[in-house]
Amino acid sequence: MDERVNTDMGGLAATLDFDAELMLRVKDGDGASFAVLLEKHRLPVIHFLYRMVQNQAVAEELAQEVFLRVYRSRESYQPTAKFTTWLFRIATHLALNSLRDGKNRRLEQPLEDDSAETPVRQVPDQRPSVEQTMVHQARLDEIRRAVAMLPEKQRAAVLMHKYQEMEYSQIAKVLNCSESAIKSLLFRAYETLRARLAHLA
Amino acid sequence: MNCPLESGGNAGHLLDYAAGKLKAEARAQMERHIAGCPACRAFAGGQQAVWRALDAWEPAAVSMDFDRRLYARIDQQASWWTRLTRPLDPLFRHALPIGAAAGVVLVAGLLMNRPAAIAVAPVEESAQVETLQPEQVEHALDDIEMLRELNQMVPDHAAPKM
Repeated sequence: MDERVNTDMGGLAATLDFDAELMLRVKDGDGASFAVLLEKHRLPVIHFLYRMVQNQAVAEELAQEVFLRVYRSRESYQPTAKFTTWLFRIATHLALNSLRDGKNRRLEQPLEDDSAETPVRQVPDQRPSVEQTMVHQARLDEIRRAVAMLPEKQRAAVLMHKYQEMEYSQIAKVLNCSESAIKSLLFRAYETLRARLAHLA
Repeated sequence: MNCPLESGGNAGHLLDYAAGKLKAEARAQMERHIAGCPACRAFAGGQQAVWRALDAWEPAAVSMDFDRRLYARIDQQASWWTRLTRPLDPLFRHALPIGAAAGVVLVAGLLMNRPAAIAVAPVEESAQVETLQPEQVEHALDDIEMLRELNQMVPDHAAPKM
């Protein structure tokens, strides 16, 4: 996210992040630049959406819609903000809509369904015992439930802060809030998580 | 420094400290405060535990055909004209400027030769005269003679007054 390119746009010197530069090339009809953007942001977007809606199939469907919207918006794209801010604004908007529409019945789904798809590599031991696996699974389920119970905006902020390592200012732009409001929102969210997950420490 | 939990102004600092995101100087300052503030110490300890717990939550693997499905949807939404002309895109991209330049040259050439083209036109009129037959002339003269005779038969008072 730190890669930056100096670009002169219509006489006005503007500093764009590299992704925005790529998006401007997509706007000019360069399909290869779209492929680069997709390769770079596919996993972060899907992982964010997965943690938001807690359903892998829905997360992938929403991610498809995110990139489809990015592609469709190429003609009207203006690099007024960081590309990732724009990208996660679309992703957050779709995730919140999906949650509000109740398309995915995450709480009705047994949490084990998704975890069965997770790679084995997340378990550190080469051959964990059945008991160790069950304990690990129970911990994961508690973490996921704790996150799922957060209010939607707090959840989105925590996920962007923790997993996408976004700055407060960027999260604020994605969620259309002030920076101080985001700090306060995150503080409350982490306090809630601390109370719910204290026994795991 | 002000206590982040009391003032709220440094709440972000306390979160960043627990996440290990603070730079050396700010971190040292926070550690000095935490050493004398049990509430912040408890919060930071609990927050670090939350952070470690969240680290354990890895997402599921992504479908292998994610990109293929996406490009299929992009293709599906493209207009029929775009799909029809897509194979010719490289051709259009290179041939269009050349074609435009050739068009300009052609139009300029036509405009420069325009007077000569106009001069050719009268030839067609003379060709029409040549096709007039002698019998047609004779018939026309007979018709004129007949009309003259008819005029003489009509009395003068029957002529319309102008």
